[in-house]
Amino acid sequence: MSLALKLLTGILILSFPLSAFGWDWQTRVTVVVKDQPIEAVCGLLEKEYGIHFSYSRELVNLSRKVTLTIHQQRLKKVLDELFAPDDIRFARVGEQVVLSPVQRSSRTISGFVKDAVSGENLIGATVYSPVLKQGTTANQYGFYSLTTVKDTNSLVISYIGYQPFVQKVAAKGNQMINIHLQPLGSLKEVVISAKESVKLQEQTQMSKVNLNTSELQAMPRLLGEVDVMRTLQSLPGVSGGADGAGGLYVRGGGPDQNLVLIDGSPVFNFSHFFGVYSLLNANVVKTTDLYKGAFPARFGGRISSVVDIAMKEGDMKNYHGDASIGLIAAKFNIEGPIVKDKTSFMLSARRSYPDLFINAAFQVDNTLGSGGNFQAFFYDINAKVNHIFSSKDRLFLSFYQGEDNLLLKQTVDDTSYASNPSKYVGEKMKFHVGWGNTIAAIRWNHIYGPKLFSNITLNYSQYKFFTELEHKYTLAASGEKSDVYGRYSSRMANSGGRVDFDYRPDPRHSIRFGAISTMHNFKPGSSVFEDKDSHVTPLDTLDESPGVTGLELSLYAEDNWQIKPDLYASIGLHASGFLVEGRSYYSLQPRLGLRYLLPRNWAVKAAYTHMNQYIHLLSSNGTSLPTDIWVPSTQNVAPMFSKQIAAGVAKTTANLKYEFSLEGYFKSMHNMIENKESNSILAPVETRWDENVTVGKGWSYGAELMLQKKKGNTTGWVGYTLAWSTRRFPGINNGEIYPYRYDTRHDIELVLVQQLGPHWEFSASWHFNSGMPFTLPVSGYAGTDGASPWEPGTGNTGIDRYDNRNNYRGAAVHRLDVGITWSRQKKRWTRSWNLSVFNVYNRKNPYYYYISADPVQQQRYLSKVTILPILPSITYAIKF
Amino acid sequence: MKQFFVGAIGLSMLLSACEKREEISLPYEGDKIVVNTLIQPDSVVYIRVTRSVPSSVYDDAGYKDIPGAAVTLTAGDESVWPLQTQVIKGLSYYVSDRKAVLGLQYKVAVTAPGLQPVTGADTLPAAPLAYNAGAQRSSSRVEFTLKDHPSSADYYRVRIYMTDAATGRGTFLLFRLDPAFNNSLADFFSKGNYNSLIMNDKRFNGKQVTFVLQTEEPIMNAGEMTVEVSALTYGTYQYLNTLFAQRESGNVITGSPVRVFSNVTNGYGIVGGINTRKMVFKIE
Repeated sequence: MSLALKLLTGILILSFPLSAFGWDWQTRVTVVVKDQPIEAVCGLLEKEYGIHFSYSRELVNLSRKVTLTIHQQRLKKVLDELFAPDDIRFARVGEQVVLSPVQRSSRTISGFVKDAVSGENLIGATVYSPVLKQGTTANQYGFYSLTTVKDTNSLVISYIGYQPFVQKVAAKGNQMINIHLQPLGSLKEVVISAKESVKLQEQTQMSKVNLNTSELQAMPRLLGEVDVMRTLQSLPGVSGGADGAGGLYVRGGGPDQNLVLIDGSPVFNFSHFFGVYSLLNANVVKTTDLYKGAFPARFGGRISSVVDIAMKEGDMKNYHGDASIGLIAAKFNIEGPIVKDKTSFMLSARRSYPDLFINAAFQVDNTLGSGGNFQAFFYDINAKVNHIFSSKDRLFLSFYQGEDNLLLKQTVDDTSYASNPSKYVGEKMKFHVGWGNTIAAIRWNHIYGPKLFSNITLNYSQYKFFTELEHKYTLAASGEKSDVYGRYSSRMANSGGRVDFDYRPDPRHSIRFGAISTMHNFKPGSSVFEDKDSHVTPLDTLDESPGVTGLELSLYAEDNWQIKPDLYASIGLHASGFLVEGRSYYSLQPRLGLRYLLPRNWAVKAAYTHMNQYIHLLSSNGTSLPTDIWVPSTQNVAPMFSKQIAAGVAKTTANLKYEFSLEGYFKSMHNMIENKESNSILAPVETRWDENVTVGKGWSYGAELMLQKKKGNTTGWVGYTLAWSTRRFPGINNGEIYPYRYDTRHDIELVLVQQLGPHWEFSASWHFNSGMPFTLPVSGYAGTDGASPWEPGTGNTGIDRYDNRNNYRGAAVHRLDVGITWSRQKKRWTRSWNLSVFNVYNRKNPYYYYISADPVQQQRYLSKVTILPILPSITYAIKF
Repeated sequence: MKQFFVGAIGLSMLLSACEKREEISLPYEGDKIVVNTLIQPDSVVYIRVTRSVPSSVYDDAGYKDIPGAAVTLTAGDESVWPLQTQVIKGLSYYVSDRKAVLGLQYKVAVTAPGLQPVTGADTLPAAPLAYNAGAQRSSSRVEFTLKDHPSSADYYRVRIYMTDAATGRGTFLLFRLDPAFNNSLADFFSKGNYNSLIMNDKRFNGKQVTFVLQTEEPIMNAGEMTVEVSALTYGTYQYLNTLFAQRESGNVITGSPVRVFSNVTNGYGIVGGINTRKMVFKIE
């Protein structure tokens, strides 16, 4: 003890020993120490008051440093405060105070948070102990686990749109408690902004946006359809490309760099109708998370964003559903229990229908001749079954199929060949093109214990495209026949499995780890060609690209860690490898995030992440089309990877009404591909596609601001993005950096939802982005076709001279969409009408530009084409 | 087909596209000298020298000559060939006084007041081994045989010219390779027909191949048909190929505009070698 006394520095000691011969718990003591170990405090008490401490250094750790300013307080209270944080028990034995560790084990409370009405799991619900100021959130299956070292009497469970619930917890060991939250009477007051049920400053995750189904439903509609992708486009950092197109360009990334997951299964082409609509019926989407950066370690395979969509599971208690019809599509959704509280199903289907009317009109007019047919539609089907085997085991089966189809069968009943022998006799033609996704998945949730949750997924995802053409005729003049059939198809399929573990050892750690295996099957081009009446000898064999199989393996681990009371970290690593055609690639991708809590509900956050992508999208012009095909990395084209750093501040006000976030980011992208400039002619797919592309880099950086109002009759958000995105490819733009074609400097989003009484809801969204760059010629000059001017065809040929790529910026794009919904609750069902007006003030936004010529004025000038003028639509829906 | 597109885009009719002129001034890089000459063996050399213009200028009468331009044609090492100006079909050309021959490199240099001097050079290719061209009336198929050189990378252009016996009018026919010939689904689906076929010999290097072309319309009238097969140097091939691609891309501004190849330093245009063999036959 004397040594400890010597170590006391900076101590002010005032001691008033009441008795040199004894002490009791009521003895008043005075201790003032600064930044000294507890051991030194014990030494001081021994010296001044004769209180001897007895303990084993192996069991009791007194090294924690404390600063105390205690004047004349009772000894019992002083020792309580001194030892309690370290769980040290003290007791008087004779004249000694004996110290020992508290024999109290921690306990874990775990279970699922569910909707009390439907039994749906609630993703991201908050489970919180107000007394201990500790909490956790439910994972994507609604599972939560809260391990605490102290007694917990009650938990508060909350989720946006639901009545908060206080769950009493009995004073015993580990418990599994399933919590059922009652939905609020009207969800609408929270629909718009419910970005997170957890306050922004309480999540280390940044660069993430959450949309729930209610938010989607509140948005104004395009031709009567609610759409996931269009709603995502109205968020800061996300661009949709040209007005009318349906791309997803996240923080300067390309459309091929988005990992879209439906219930954990990847999707290759996320749109119908050339990108106008998402492939999913929005009515069956439960929640959508968009990660623009700060990617959790559990995701990998794309370099710019992750769109994680969770579908509804199916009501465990009651049957209900909805049906609606708009201008483009009709759809229905039905769900309910197969075995109450055990097994449920969900089934939905959607089909566009205008082609039915067009075909009927063709048939009436006999426009297509005998046997003629016309179809142009998209459809999608979702089915899901989930079964609860026990409180620890649950199984999900899900299936999706969606397709776009265009068919034209025509017989030309032209009898003019009798007088014009250059005509065809008996001409028949059939053209058919289709593309779509098929996805199937089995998932098994298993709870190993209160702290460990697992999910095992087996999934299959396929995208295929095909087109076929038949053409049959006889030339009247010569009797020359032609009977030609051609078919081209491409296919990309993934089959794989993954196992994910969610481990919550204590409130300071939330650990996830797992493994992913994906088999990629590439079949980029397969052709069949038959000409039954031709005598010609083919020049070469069929254009048949061989199938390629690649295996991608990944391991990941991540920990959301509370380092200090106000400092949090998310530390993860995603390790992956790719085996294809005898080659192998691997990568280690760190995923780091930090959060520091500031006073007044502010948090400052930062993140640094690597992402890797082993597959590339071959696209003819940089936009996403059904004909695009996926190919694996080759010796010439290495896997893409990106590095992104982001930093920002976030705050949710104390009354939970407003959220504010401001983020800056810088992202570099490597090994991206671009068609070589000399390879702009459409050509059949060649086996060595990598010889036709050039490999380069891209950079994007900017800032995103979002202010959201989350509660009240008026909700909505304001988003602003300031961004730059550039590219550099050898052989393009003379090897110099140029703006990415979707580089828009400013982007503003305003979204408003206003409740107008119990039956009416009004919504509006206004979008603005500054002009996108494109390439204009810098001069014109004469060309030539032949050697001698005396020969025909060697005359005036005008050539456009192009220099710097994307040297001009188009007109700014802005548009106001509004919608109003009237709904009325009947005894058993609700009906609603929605009137939406797209592009209210009929802004003529550019879809593309072209150069027109005016021979009279001897001028050429730029023209723009607009495809989406003002478009009103109406939708009728019933829900039961 | 027209009805098909009306139907297929029926949905899109709701989206009724509209066009509008944008009042912007198109950018201009500044005046440059443009040199165009494709040099044919056993023919005099025709060189056209013009000035570039802003891309907002529409010039269907040919581009303007450069007054005071000094044009030099050098054959081989240092032999400068005299040139004289000649107006042909309303356009001004610098024409050599002798015929080009194989085995020499030809270099054209142009200077003009206020403009940066330019140069361009190329050699001449050997004549293509093309023969046995033929076609039948009331058919849409035209055939010819091509024997490719095995030891070199060769480049070709094919065109079909038809002179109508009744009217005496001549025109280049639109055609394509018979889809069955090269199994080209792209040609088949697109139903695209072009007035020239520009190709390299990667798919038939060193072989003797009978090409089958399919004209857009059946050949119904009697007349004289010329199947023109030209051997090209690599520079000429790149020039004609990219020129073709730019024409095919139309006037729509795409994400990847086609830059037409030029081998004229500090200017635009082409100084290229070409060797054309014409096979002329009657359609009875």
